[in-house]
Amino acid sequence: MTTVAVVGLSIVLFVLGTIAFIVKRDLLTQFMAVEIMLNAANLAFLGLARGSGRLDAQVIVFFVMTVAAAEAAVGLAIVLHIYRRKKSIKTEDLDRLRG
Amino acid sequence: MNGFAALAPLLFLVGGAILVLLLGTRRNGGTNSVQAAVSIAAIAAAGFSAARLWGRAVRAFGGQLRFDEAALFMTFLFLLAAAMAVLLGMRYLVRHAMPRGEYYGLLLLAACGLVIMTATINLLIVFLGLEVFSVSAYALSGLNRRDDRSAEAAAKYFLIGSFASAFVIFGLALLFGTRGSLDVHQLALPETGGSSALALTGLALVVSGLAFKIALVPFHMYQPDVYEGAPTPVAAFFAAAPKAAGFLVLLRILVPHFQTGIRNEAIIEFLSAVAVATMILGNFAALRQRNLKRILAYSSIAHAGYMLIAVISGDPAGLLFYLANYLFMGVGAFAAVIALGGPGREILDLDEFAGVGRRYPWIGGIFTVLLLSMAGFPPTGGFLAKFYVFSTAVRAGHLGLAIVGVLTSLVSVYYYLRIVRIMFMKEPERELDVDTENPAVYLVLFLCLYAVLQLGLFPGNIITLIRQATASL
Repeated sequence: MTTVAVVGLSIVLFVLGTIAFIVKRDLLTQFMAVEIMLNAANLAFLGLARGSGRLDAQVIVFFVMTVAAAEAAVGLAIVLHIYRRKKSIKTEDLDRLRG
Repeated sequence: MNGFAALAPLLFLVGGAILVLLLGTRRNGGTNSVQAAVSIAAIAAAGFSAARLWGRAVRAFGGQLRFDEAALFMTFLFLLAAAMAVLLGMRYLVRHAMPRGEYYGLLLLAACGLVIMTATINLLIVFLGLEVFSVSAYALSGLNRRDDRSAEAAAKYFLIGSFASAFVIFGLALLFGTRGSLDVHQLALPETGGSSALALTGLALVVSGLAFKIALVPFHMYQPDVYEGAPTPVAAFFAAAPKAAGFLVLLRILVPHFQTGIRNEAIIEFLSAVAVATMILGNFAALRQRNLKRILAYSSIAHAGYMLIAVISGDPAGLLFYLANYLFMGVGAFAAVIALGGPGREILDLDEFAGVGRRYPWIGGIFTVLLLSMAGFPPTGGFLAKFYVFSTAVRAGHLGLAIVGVLTSLVSVYYYLRIVRIMFMKEPERELDVDTENPAVYLVLFLCLYAVLQLGLFPGNIITLIRQATASL
């Protein structure tokens, strides 16, 4: 039962993250939505590891956390760079590329 | 086989990247040509060490790293693309005052990520390779720090890319829960147990994540923006290499279908719909573009649609041949854009190309051959590639896909030939400011011309290699 509950919660989190990514119009908030999606995946892996007693799922979580950290490092640098140039991180201000 | 011998191609790439970055910190040792030479040397060393693994069916690290011939063939393509991107970048970086060490270093790391993606059958390793590539790619596309468009391309690529990565990893979690394994061979077969909905959702998420990276419709929106905004040598690298890696992973997922005959019709139908949408939208959207880099972006989306036909009809050889061709066509076309650029500025608007072909017949001529190859005219490689893909599709019973492919290819002839017409038939409107002292770019152009003609006229050698590669899948 607990496995089902944990995986169910992770699915809810993932869907919420997806909706937030699509609805929000702000680079940082969208990036936070992606982080929630990644952590939903982590939670799913942990729930499954607990249910099946397998350790590989727990190892995968460490990989995902490392990946999220690397993405955050590059991503925040990009957002900061955008802010310096445009004084805004709204997606509607990213309008130089159109066609 | 010793694990570190199997790791050698990756070690050379990473070692080269670190060395280039370190050279960049020195005040006098880090000149542009030294850094480019170190990068080329690292790529060559990786290529030689990969060639030594050919035919040995290398498995290392408990089977997680698996250099079969298909992975090695792809590795050669990635290394070629990276080497050509280094050559294209040499002068471009100086012209546009971009940071150099970072460019070469990130390029090597991106190539390394692509190699990791292809050299495994475990989807977790695929994900890690994908991230190594993606994180380097986000930084690469934003490398031109003085240009707003470059920053914007990086932001869009980063947001969409990390969104797609989250899809992949959550799909992996669902698959791991339902299948208990992330081995690609067990994923695509129809579910026998009760949890088939979860497993299918997981597979759909993973395939959508890959479709983002390959830029298939409807996951293609970011691609034209990234191509337009990213520095042109970076766009040249993005044109073919990441698509090739994504397609090989897709192929590995679907291989059990073609070998066991047990088919999961839902996946085939989904992919067929995506292929049709990709071919139609890619080609028709290219018609109304005025910016050359955006035209090439939409054309690359269209080509991904043709390659997807090869995947659907279970034709790995056709896919690899198409990928090899597209590598040279894609990189070559961007090389032509770079060759026609002036100091600090590129010609991108179609109208500005008026008369370029008359003034610079060699560049214009090679560009024309590459465009004809993209459109699929004989005797170029692009013709043979399309011919193989479409004829296998007909034989595999996907007549509709082949018809859409042929018709959309006819549409594409219009926008490819329009570029040629503007280059040769119109009078130049004003004095062109083209930087002609760019030998590295000419080298790349001639290499692409040679490859496209070689693949079109005498494809025998490469087909032998591709046969060996597909036998290992």
